[in-house]
Amino acid sequence: MFKFVSGFYCSIVNMERGHSSGVKTPPTRGVVQKSKNKTYQQSYRSCLRASSRFALTPALTARRLNTSRRAPRLHNITEKVRPEHLDILMKTEWKLAYVTPLYQFRHTQLQSYSRQLSEFIAAEKQQGLAVEVEGLQSSFRVSFSVVPGMTEADDDAETVLIQIHSKPMFARQDKPQKPVWSGWLTCINGNPDYLQSLPQDFICLPLFGSSGSEVLTRLVQSWFQQTFDCCFGCLEISETCLHWLAALWTNCHSESSIQRLKLIWTIPVKPVLQVTYTVNPQDAWDLWSDIRKEPGEENEGEDGRSVDIEEVTRFIQGLKNHFYKHFKLDLSAGPLQQVSTALGSAKYSGRIKISSSRYMITTLTLLTEGALLKMPI
Amino acid sequence: MGDATKRLLQRLIRRTRIQMLKTTLEKWDRLTLAQRQSMVFIQSKSAITEKLLSICEENEWTVKHIAELEMIHVMDNPNQGMWYAFRLMDPEDDAHSVELMQFKEQFKSLLHELVRHVSVKIKKHADEAIWIRIAWGDGFSQPNHLKPTYVVHYLQTPFVFVTSITSKQKPLLSQALTVSTRHQDLKNANLSGRKLTAIRDLLMQQYPQVFPTNFPGHTAENNQMESNPRRVKEQAGLEADRLRMAHKAFGDGMLPELESAVYELETKFNGHANGTMTDREQPFRCVVKFTSTNLLESLRQCASSGIVSTVTPLFSSIPRSGKNYFVITNKSHGSSSKTSNITEPQILDSKD
Repeated sequence: MFKFVSGFYCSIVNMERGHSSGVKTPPTRGVVQKSKNKTYQQSYRSCLRASSRFALTPALTARRLNTSRRAPRLHNITEKVRPEHLDILMKTEWKLAYVTPLYQFRHTQLQSYSRQLSEFIAAEKQQGLAVEVEGLQSSFRVSFSVVPGMTEADDDAETVLIQIHSKPMFARQDKPQKPVWSGWLTCINGNPDYLQSLPQDFICLPLFGSSGSEVLTRLVQSWFQQTFDCCFGCLEISETCLHWLAALWTNCHSESSIQRLKLIWTIPVKPVLQVTYTVNPQDAWDLWSDIRKEPGEENEGEDGRSVDIEEVTRFIQGLKNHFYKHFKLDLSAGPLQQVSTALGSAKYSGRIKISSSRYMITTLTLLTEGALLKMPI
Repeated sequence: MGDATKRLLQRLIRRTRIQMLKTTLEKWDRLTLAQRQSMVFIQSKSAITEKLLSICEENEWTVKHIAELEMIHVMDNPNQGMWYAFRLMDPEDDAHSVELMQFKEQFKSLLHELVRHVSVKIKKHADEAIWIRIAWGDGFSQPNHLKPTYVVHYLQTPFVFVTSITSKQKPLLSQALTVSTRHQDLKNANLSGRKLTAIRDLLMQQYPQVFPTNFPGHTAENNQMESNPRRVKEQAGLEADRLRMAHKAFGDGMLPELESAVYELETKFNGHANGTMTDREQPFRCVVKFTSTNLLESLRQCASSGIVSTVTPLFSSIPRSGKNYFVITNKSHGSSSKTSNITEPQILDSKD
């Protein structure tokens, strides 16, 4: 088999720089160590620009999110996923990270993983790493579980949920315990070319969300790194991604009210100025549908028409222009920090909260794509 | 010692820093020398609480005493909680000659008439402000000292600042205030903030003002004198213009530390060159909130650094009219023509 080169050099270009440099695209990024039987893993980026590997492509075309995607449909996820799992996933703010593919991770061995992780945490505690979250705790009980029903594409691996409960010294049987730390790994609608090019033993669950103390998050991540030879990295939700979320969530207003569209910018002056722009949901919807109709196309009435990045950009630009006409302040002067509606909220720092199960899949698809793009392999 | 007294005292200690507590107790001056000496302020808060509670028992303090202590504390630390500014309207002829004693008596008696159980305390601050602490009860229950309303009024000015008042209590306060100050009405001044000193300075214009002159003279040109004369800044002219514009709107001294400004926009959508949105008659409703640790300073920086291309009336009316809540609508002409797609936004006199 071939080895995974973990410390390779890759120049990840910032997705936000929109201008194209006329630079020659270097042939491949990262891993290509050919084995005897000539199987090799394609890097994610090479999958995206399959036809133009040696051509003079602008270095950035492949490194953006998809420029168009299906309009979000109402997913009756409640039919597929158990309500207690949905309860865990919703209404908590998750901190996101990307994960490289996991080597020899088996969904059938979750029990053993639970045991191993709790032993790992206990061992680390003995070494002196402070993991006390509250009061006197003798140990932690870890549980890994599968969340069936969340995958969309055939290549997606099943979502895995990890919960850490504290085992207090004097266990009280009557109180149901809330976990002190929760996390999940998921892959929703991952790029099929990439997923299929992965060798047999690798499972790709690129999106990792965690909620709880930083110390436990780091412990869990280092256990994963040791056991499955993967890498974690923090995932910011880029400005383009935030724009997409704003547009896609607004698109859902006709089916389920978003209650408001709130966008928060920070302007770089001293002291920092924060601008919170809250739009009435019906007016946001009117603006969005106006933009969707604009080029004069006659495809009305069907909801399967895909959403284009141009429409998203025009939507956000329209809101900014309206703001400019009143305040003479161009909101592009500072970064967009947060987008929130009744369906969820997303922050630039990589925190996401999903408040409605109906559009969870769309949001997770977008974030999975972001994670796959940010991944260095 | 009543339960209410105990709770009030405990809450006060919990919310106060130890050093501040010491100063406040000294100002209050109700502890005997022996008791003062027995209080050791380096202990933990729980120890101090215990000590004070025992002293309270000893001296037989009632809830009124503790309320007085709390009032002294709040008067020294006014920049907490949320303050709302009001303006007294339509003064009668003798409004300018209302005196402190007269106001005190009238206000207290009026409030006692309006509310069956109420506890009112009035104190005069060193800076001529009158502070009023009101603990509201109703027909059936005793005054609740845990949720007092504080009112600050400068006699012979129309300005009133209030914190922690419910919508039911407001009309009662309004009536008592208007009658005892000889005015007709109490209106919302659309200014609010956490720092009483900041909103007071803004409303009463007690900060370095700028007056429009035809001969600018000094200002910022002097700062350029010390830099190397051989170094020429390319955009010096534009920079000076921006600085002048910023100073014209906000002055060049210290600004009151306002934290936020809210604009409710109900104007026609004005974001695209074409499209059906611009022809739409209904307003595009949105709310814009600006927040900062010192909002006026941030806005001044925005103007002088060019982030804002000009200082619109929306921003300059914050210091000019002393408000931070605005409702913006389009000016309604007699007949609005469909061809004009930019109508001037107008600041509406906000709702009460």
